Amino acid sequence: MLKTAVASVCMAWAAYASAAWLTHDFQVWTAEGARRLEVALLPVATPAVQVQTPNGSSKPLRRLLADEQTVTIVDFIYTRCQTVCLALGSTYQQMQSSLQSARTTDAAARRVQLLSISFDMQRDDQQAMADYAARLNADAAIWHLVRVPDPSDLARLLADFQVVVVPSSQGDFEHNAALLVVDSRGRLVRIFDYADHQLALDYARYLAAVGSP
Amino acid sequence: MNLSSLMTRGMARLGLPAALSLLSVLVFLPGRNFLESSMVRHMLVQYPLLMLCGALLAGGLSATLADRALVWEAQASNWNAYGMTGLFGTALGLALLMIPRVLDLALVNPWVESIKMTILVASGAAIYLSWRPAGWLVQGFFLGQVLPMMAVAGTLYESSPTRVCNAYLLNDQVLLGQLLVWIAAGTALAWLAALFRSLIRRSTVPAV
Repeated sequence: MLKTAVASVCMAWAAYASAAWLTHDFQVWTAEGARRLEVALLPVATPAVQVQTPNGSSKPLRRLLADEQTVTIVDFIYTRCQTVCLALGSTYQQMQSSLQSARTTDAAARRVQLLSISFDMQRDDQQAMADYAARLNADAAIWHLVRVPDPSDLARLLADFQVVVVPSSQGDFEHNAALLVVDSRGRLVRIFDYADHQLALDYARYLAAVGSP
Repeated sequence: MNLSSLMTRGMARLGLPAALSLLSVLVFLPGRNFLESSMVRHMLVQYPLLMLCGALLAGGLSATLADRALVWEAQASNWNAYGMTGLFGTALGLALLMIPRVLDLALVNPWVESIKMTILVASGAAIYLSWRPAGWLVQGFFLGQVLPMMAVAGTLYESSPTRVCNAYLLNDQVLLGQLLVWIAAGTALAWLAALFRSLIRRSTVPAV
């Protein structure tokens, strides 16, 4: 009986240690929670991938994100999305108008930009991106839209930022939509729910004012 | 020939080959990809099938090595009195594997995937070896721990407005939640029915 008790205690300890590792000391239970915590603890560098703007010009994503001055709030979208991205779209419109008014008085707000990256390579061509920007009244000085033309670049970007895209019915996608704050050195430093867009914006303006976290 | 000896002979002949062939389907692609592409198949088909592999493996091995198995079982029973270690370990393993992050991590991290599979196979073997020695009391304790946990996890999966796993769709998660609750309730009822049947049999005085 003593041996049984010893074996049971050992297993309980092993299970406790495994659970503590899995949940980052019982703080998170989902992969999304773990992703957000890990990013806050250890920022993720933007990978060297090429992106394409709606006017067709290609440039490295790092040049957009790591100019040593601008803090960026990034989201991943597909333009035909009728659910989460629609909410993200209106969130971005609200953030854009907040930035437009803040820019007149606050220098830090002038160093915050918005970036939407499409992950639907097949259907989001240049025209679709331009239509999306026009539909949401994207102000080109604040809100940029890009697509990732190369499949391996896209896979790398999604993997590094831990964005998981799952195809659902009728050509739609479900994905872990969120607001990704990237500092002026091009490092993903914090992830916010899109419901917390004011917090994300305030944090981005704070980063722009003080530099890196 | 009664059912029990038929099962022992079947296990001796088919247990090991069945376990190994089932395991090879479950472990290697594309079987693994197919089962893991849906949350319901991942948790409610792959998990039980891996446990079945463990049970077949344990049954096949102990039936094949029947002469030596008796000595091993006697030694092992010191470490697994009344099947307690086996069932307690299984309950802990299943609790761990119901953490939503495991389902996502298993898809991208080969270490987590292999540990997950090992835990499930070991749990199946542990249940096979521990269920009978456990008796009603320890079995009841085990199910009283595992089934409410399943039902709670199922309710959370079903009622969560957001996805708990990044790799799976929301409607898949809702269906998994509902099925977990039903399976927990069904298992509890089946076990209680077996318990009452046994109690009634024991209390019935044979007619003279």
